[in-house]
Amino acid sequence: MTETLRPETPEQLREAVAWATSADTPLEVAAAGTKRVFGRPCQTSHRLDLSGLAGVTDYEPAELVMGVGAATPLAEIEAALAANNQQLAFEPPDFGPLLGAAAGAGTIGGAIACNLAGPRRVKAGAARDHIIGFHAVSGRGEDFKSGGRVVKNVTGFDLSKLMAGSFGTLAVMADVNLKVMPAPERTRTVLVYGAEDGAAVKALAQALGSAFDVSGAAHLPAEVAAGSGVDYVAGAGRPVTAVRIEGTGASVEYRCQAIRENLAEFGDTEELHSSNSVTLWSEVAGAAYFTAEAETQVWRVSATPGAGPRLAAEVRAETGGRAYYDWGGGLVWLALPPRPDAAHEVVRGALAAAGGGHATLLRAAESVRAAFPVFEPQGEALKALSARIKDAFDPKRVLNPGRMYAGV
Amino acid sequence: MRMPEPDAAVLARRGDIIEQLRAIVPGEGVIVDEDELRAYECDGLTAYRQLPMVVVLPETTEQISRVLRYCHETGVKIVPRGAGTSLSGGALPVADAITLGLGKFKRILEIDYENRSAVVQPGVTNLAITEAVEHQGFYYAPDPSSQIACTIGGNVAENSGGVHSLKYGLTTNNVLGVEVVLMTGEVLRLGGKHLDSGGYDLLGVITGSEGLLGVITEVTVRILQKPETARAFLIGFPSNESAGDCVAAIIAAGIIPAGVEMMDKPAIHAVEDFVHAGYPRDVEALLIVELDGPEAEVADLIARVQAIAEETGAVTIRISQSEDERLVFWAGRKAAFPAVGRISPDYYCMDGTIPRRALATVLKRMAAMSSHYSLRVANVFHAGDGNLHPLVLYDANEPGELERAEAFGADILKLCVEVGGVLTGEHGVGVEKRDLMGVMFTEDDLKHQQRLKCAFDPDGLLNPGKVYPTLHRCAELGRLHVSGGQTRFPDLPRF
Amino acid sequence: MQTKFSPAQLADPHIETANGILRACVHCGFCTATCPSYVLLGDELDSPRGRIYLIKDMLENERPASAKLVKHVDRCLSCLSCMTTCPSGVHYMHLVDHARTRIAETYVRPWPERLLRALLAVVLPRPSLFRLALVGARLARPFKGLFPGRLKGLVAMAPASVPGPSALDRPQVFPAQGVPQRRVALLTGCAQRVLRPAINEATVRLLTRLGCEVVVAEGVGCCAALVHHMGREAETDAQVKANIAAFERVMEGGALDAIVVNASGCGTMVKDYGHVLRTEVAWAERARRVAALARDVSEVLVELDLGTLVTPDKPGIDGEPPVVAYHSACSLRHGQKITKEPKRLLADAGFEVREPAEAHLCCGSAGTYNLLQPELASALGARKADRLAATGAQVIATGNIGCLAQMTGAVGIPVVHTVELLDWAMGGPRPPELG
Repeated sequence: MTETLRPETPEQLREAVAWATSADTPLEVAAAGTKRVFGRPCQTSHRLDLSGLAGVTDYEPAELVMGVGAATPLAEIEAALAANNQQLAFEPPDFGPLLGAAAGAGTIGGAIACNLAGPRRVKAGAARDHIIGFHAVSGRGEDFKSGGRVVKNVTGFDLSKLMAGSFGTLAVMADVNLKVMPAPERTRTVLVYGAEDGAAVKALAQALGSAFDVSGAAHLPAEVAAGSGVDYVAGAGRPVTAVRIEGTGASVEYRCQAIRENLAEFGDTEELHSSNSVTLWSEVAGAAYFTAEAETQVWRVSATPGAGPRLAAEVRAETGGRAYYDWGGGLVWLALPPRPDAAHEVVRGALAAAGGGHATLLRAAESVRAAFPVFEPQGEALKALSARIKDAFDPKRVLNPGRMYAGV
Repeated sequence: MRMPEPDAAVLARRGDIIEQLRAIVPGEGVIVDEDELRAYECDGLTAYRQLPMVVVLPETTEQISRVLRYCHETGVKIVPRGAGTSLSGGALPVADAITLGLGKFKRILEIDYENRSAVVQPGVTNLAITEAVEHQGFYYAPDPSSQIACTIGGNVAENSGGVHSLKYGLTTNNVLGVEVVLMTGEVLRLGGKHLDSGGYDLLGVITGSEGLLGVITEVTVRILQKPETARAFLIGFPSNESAGDCVAAIIAAGIIPAGVEMMDKPAIHAVEDFVHAGYPRDVEALLIVELDGPEAEVADLIARVQAIAEETGAVTIRISQSEDERLVFWAGRKAAFPAVGRISPDYYCMDGTIPRRALATVLKRMAAMSSHYSLRVANVFHAGDGNLHPLVLYDANEPGELERAEAFGADILKLCVEVGGVLTGEHGVGVEKRDLMGVMFTEDDLKHQQRLKCAFDPDGLLNPGKVYPTLHRCAELGRLHVSGGQTRFPDLPRF
Repeated sequence: MQTKFSPAQLADPHIETANGILRACVHCGFCTATCPSYVLLGDELDSPRGRIYLIKDMLENERPASAKLVKHVDRCLSCLSCMTTCPSGVHYMHLVDHARTRIAETYVRPWPERLLRALLAVVLPRPSLFRLALVGARLARPFKGLFPGRLKGLVAMAPASVPGPSALDRPQVFPAQGVPQRRVALLTGCAQRVLRPAINEATVRLLTRLGCEVVVAEGVGCCAALVHHMGREAETDAQVKANIAAFERVMEGGALDAIVVNASGCGTMVKDYGHVLRTEVAWAERARRVAALARDVSEVLVELDLGTLVTPDKPGIDGEPPVVAYHSACSLRHGQKITKEPKRLLADAGFEVREPAEAHLCCGSAGTYNLLQPELASALGARKADRLAATGAQVIATGNIGCLAQMTGAVGIPVVHTVELLDWAMGGPRPPELG
């Protein structure tokens, strides 16, 4: 049976990790646990539950900075920000439903540990770009901090980047300082109907390469669009290409108009206003289209944007399944019929042929995730370097061992 | 500035090292004569100088890999150098080290408009990237003031910022991938034209690592379409406080300008003498506020910023009426540091960042320090993100002035940390702020950073003597010291 | 920047000047980016900042010039791009000129080098000798393989036909047409009038048409830039003094409004006469007076009303107004900071004017540079030719004979002097290069 440690102060957190280190006892690090099945399964007898380290501690809207406990629910952060017309610009997606957990329960620590980013990634960056400082306890059982509470800082190595996307394998964050941004006054979405994948990604490239400051660029093939909760999308009966525009009123109107004209050559256009926009982009962010068919294996593939459609076509020719695109084609979501090997060679072969990138098996049975690489396999030099970094921070391998790569 | 003690055994092998380097890099690429080495004795920070043991200017990644492998195998230190514009001494030579110049890596390898990226060699200047893509309306967003000369490789090493970083981010937010040579000679590619590679974010870690982790040999950057319009305000204020209030009010109104710069009176005068940008000479503080985007948006924002400026006590307001005029407004700011060379033979440029709310306090205390040290200070800030550039003016030919300038600078940076800020916002720690790291970080903080260094370069051969005041041996850092782990502490909630 | 000169050293006015220049430098490195030799070679030592360091070291330690220093200073084109870029106001030109003098005094070049330099110093400033040399070189062309090293380049660059002497070379006065507005002296130059006499002829036609009396003065010879840039101080001083005296004689004959220079390399030199002779009490003031009168021809023309004289049937190539790529000579752009005037004049005269990318970068001509540093010069020439060709222009206009010679042939487009096009637009002959 798994024993759970639930520290409520940074000092307790340090003690917990120090104990694990001295007792050679690996810990599964979690807060809300909404992404426990993201990554390789790790064998641990103890769970480190961070949910006691939550709360907005230090929010200065005028400085565009917010300090929070690592396990603060995103919902709480977003509410506090919204009250000041601000937001987390990287738009952390909610993978809860997709991964069989509750909706709206994720924490900031989880979003950072997985370096998540929603559709606004193309404009505003990922979690990695919005964490400006933190306190953590490394696998050595020692407190350390990095960064600070100002948005511009290059003092010392940027360990915030190292924390982001490390899946809790190096250190356990106690609190983080976030860079926050003003929320847009208005949001609209231009829809283009009827473009096939290749043309759609060209349209998105055109939009992203324009001066109109696009903050979301996705394409839903017809069979994916049909699953949307937005009538204009679900009822289209055709592929739907979506471009999001945010900003001040007059500017949004002008840019939507310009984008519509600009993309008219690709198909009929339509415009979504606020609430429909919010629904659509949260679906896109969290792969809501794939939630229902829980048996499919879901891949999240980061690729050269222009190569997205070819990659998806190559995979689907082999495996069937469905695909849609975010990040202007650079993020390919695949829901494939289950296979014992998750078609990992097909996906990664297609990715390599498309110029490389990173394919992550986001959803699959535990046995599959244990047997085949969840994250893009690394070359020898990179693998050895990653292991040395793990050694540096967590020499006893007590933090989420094996969660990313075997031995790390 | 104390640098690591040179290794006599390495110095004794100098002849052999030169021979080995010549076997790798032919022609004029190995520089050994003292009078030639002299030109490499410092970078943009002239306060500290040291003759390198040898300078090597390779032309290919393969040559760099061979040089590093050789150094790794034989225990020779390496100091990478781009254009030598660092203001923190990032490329300061080390007596028993090879300075590895990337000056010959000047090619733009690929421009990919469809995927909004460009692949360039590290010796390409920041501005050259924009120049290569601007005929298609694109640009590379980070724009450090030295962008005419500083190279993208150096930008990555230092995580350079610029005047537009509040809205468009620092280098780290605009680099998609790098090719990097590790000290072992291994060549790694991190990232590419895609976003967010999995695994540890080594791209993010390499960026801003000040040449301590690897040598960057290729960079893939994100390029953006230029905004439809950009217009700049020159707003003069009767006091630094009111200028600071104006910036705070703009941000509080939810406006993120493309750039918000501030200069105090001495800086305004120095710059105006060189650029003739039409800066008002009779104000105490000047803001340059740039707004960009579609015409309709910019017009709206101009009206809002103008109202805020008036409310906060602006005495002069000018808005650029043409692209030429906008560029002239900026030309002054971009040339501000060297232009100070016109009012003082030497300057010492600080780079702390503070929370914006502390601006008035910091300026007041800095003025007091200025009279305490009897040294003038000219202030140039990236006001939008609280990044200060106090320029301490001194005359290196006057005995004692450099030491006073250093002490003054250290006091300024301690003050920045005291009010909740940091030592460096964009110039890097280098040697200049190295010994102040303890002001901001605990010993454990620093050890964790250095352990990362150990993972990349366990023998400490890459850019030694920079960033970290005391270099612990990696073997020692790697040892585990666990305390308090034996008993199961009673107060920890468990289930 | 810190310097280490002793009070005794600083008593030397040359060192004192150098010290002032060095102290202005803050070592920011901006100059490296726009320096042609650094752009090509990527070595700090081949950048202005590196050379400043080398020079500082030599001067502080009172060392003779070393072979390495000479190599890097020799690679400097004196294009002065660095001075345009430098925000700190470092007067690189005076520093490098001083270094060249020191090199000439303290460094013994290998004999073929010495021979070549002496040859150039004697031949180029003397039109009759130069013309003779060109004819000789043209005859020698089939045998150029037999010539050693850089002489080969010299022989290769001789034009296919050498124009005869122009009637305009003789001292004389060209009266103004209509009501005289100005009295100007024309520096007829040395190499230019041999290589392309048409330039002076067009200049005189333009100026007289616009109401200028143009004096070709007795006793004015080479501006001295040639020997000056080789560090030959005595010859420089002698040539400068001779010119000053000659221009003073013109001034005695009536108020002189300007000394018009239509080769910008010469213009930069004449404008610097005051500095060259600043330490000679008897000459300093006289030199300053003459220098103050020197104007590039484009500076003079913009002040005269060109517009009224442009012929109604504008010049054309195949009936269309020609597209002109304006190649700004470094001596004009960086040396004299004249950038807008020539383009404005050409546009006013009805030409469509385009500017190439990297307009700030030298074409590699740089006086005798193309003869002394042929490899770097031809790399720069090829780079410039690419940029010029990319403009899609039908003709290239420039304000300096060196660039004109360097670009002719390198780029498959005719190259003429700006005044030749202006003269054509105002009813003068169509430049024969346009066919």
